[in-house]
Amino acid sequence: MKVRVDPERCQGHTLCFMRAPEAFELSEIDGHSTPVADEVPEDQEAAVVEAVRSCPERAIGVF
Amino acid sequence: MSDDDEARKHPRVHFDRHAPEYRDRFEEETRGFHEGCPLAWSDTYGGHWVAAGNRELLAFARAREKLSNDHDVHGERRGYQGINIPAPARGRGIRGGFLEMDPPEQRAYRDALNPYLSPAAIARWIPFIDEVAHACLDERIESGRIDFVDDLANIVPAVFTLAMMGIPLKKWELYNEPAHAGVYTPPHSPETARVVEAHRAMLKDIGATLHEVRANPRPGLADALARMEIDGRAPSDGDLVGALALLIGGGFDTTTALTAHALEWLSQHPAERDRLSRERATLLDPATEEFLRYFTPAPGDGRTVAEDCEIAGKEFREGDRLWLSWAMANRDPAVFPDPDRVDLARPGNRHTAFGLGIHRCIGSNVARTVFKRMLLHVLDRAPDFVCDPGGAVHYETIGVIQGMRHLPATFTPGPRLGPGLAETLETLQRICDEQGLAEPVTVRKAEAKIR
Ligand code: SF4
Repeated sequence: MKVRVDPERCQGHTLCFMRAPEAFELSEIDGHSTPVADEVPEDQEAAVVEAVRSCPERAIGVF
Repeated sequence: MSDDDEARKHPRVHFDRHAPEYRDRFEEETRGFHEGCPLAWSDTYGGHWVAAGNRELLAFARAREKLSNDHDVHGERRGYQGINIPAPARGRGIRGGFLEMDPPEQRAYRDALNPYLSPAAIARWIPFIDEVAHACLDERIESGRIDFVDDLANIVPAVFTLAMMGIPLKKWELYNEPAHAGVYTPPHSPETARVVEAHRAMLKDIGATLHEVRANPRPGLADALARMEIDGRAPSDGDLVGALALLIGGGFDTTTALTAHALEWLSQHPAERDRLSRERATLLDPATEEFLRYFTPAPGDGRTVAEDCEIAGKEFREGDRLWLSWAMANRDPAVFPDPDRVDLARPGNRHTAFGLGIHRCIGSNVARTVFKRMLLHVLDRAPDFVCDPGGAVHYETIGVIQGMRHLPATFTPGPRLGPGLAETLETLQRICDEQGLAEPVTVRKAEAKIR
């Protein structure tokens, strides 16, 4: 599974990081999110799917 | 107004979020919106649209160039009225900071302030926040009685907000009164004159703070604003005072409201309270988000349509007013199964308590952190608290903030851990100054060292 955060949509709500702290990192400056890696490790897939479902801006895509 | 213009304004509802009945009828009215008209027209307050569905709010967030937050207080642009419907009488002549601005101006403020308010920036303050919370509890812990609003939830956010701004901590009471009473006091109340006076004193002190940090720079949000430029020019003092007042308004009353409601709910559901305390490692984050969803302290924001357009299947005309109800969208059954139930572990909680889009509450990380620290200390030091339903006072109306004025409670008394509030604030002021705690995260990475 691959994951992407749309930087135009992400507004730094930080819910993705709460749900999958190993898969996302937040900018120190404004809290906006980027995936730690494009490819999601298998043991983090469930957490990343939950992050997708928790993002208020619907900024995260998995494919 | 042409018939054609009237025809597009449907479906029609009567929506008056400032009416005292709205508080009691909130769930029923919200269900009505979700069942038939998540986007409707109401004739109240000069006529405005009401968006209550999650899908509709997302559509508006994504159509941001077509909507304006501008509050044109001096009639220099298009006369738009900002984010309150109706525009308030109090504070007339002052823009509500960057929340009543559009990009690129709004962006410049956010860029200046973000490094003070990001998750990493706020995490550095946790020992400071803990110290204030402990001092508040120490004042009451031996008596076994506390008013969670007056003695805790008013104080911690106020002191912390002032610390971040670079305003002396001992001034918290000067700011506390207008920040809360300014919201809950209705215009016809006999208290209004006093509240307006307190509000004026607060604005005066904000202005004085700006002058002080210009003459003698000291770190903090006030300094960030005093130094900022937009296209090489400093914003007007009026706009800067408005921005600082927005940070006060955002930092004080909302977190108090969230904390009080959550504590009241936990007192009513002691088994859930004990579970939250036991399973805090996994439950504290989702429970916080669930309280944010369920209680949504800031229930919505207004916008003005900036050009004729179609959004979410409706036709809008330039100048239309629009109310984005974060609170009602947070009960949208299409996104939140069983929306009127509190589920501390709720999955997929994409709530809109902090808004959506570019105006996402800039203090969201402050609110979450301060709330969590206060809650944990209460769970640790007064785990068997029982709120007194007879003494709880909710805001009469929830049009601006869904807040509480008082929440008395009793608990098994315990020992003090340190000195009281006044002495703690003196110590913390010294630490703030010595360690430069109010510097942005770009300058200081280290956590506050209290002991
Ligand atoms: S939850 Fe969504 S908006 Fe928030 S930081 Fe993550 S990707 Fe960005």
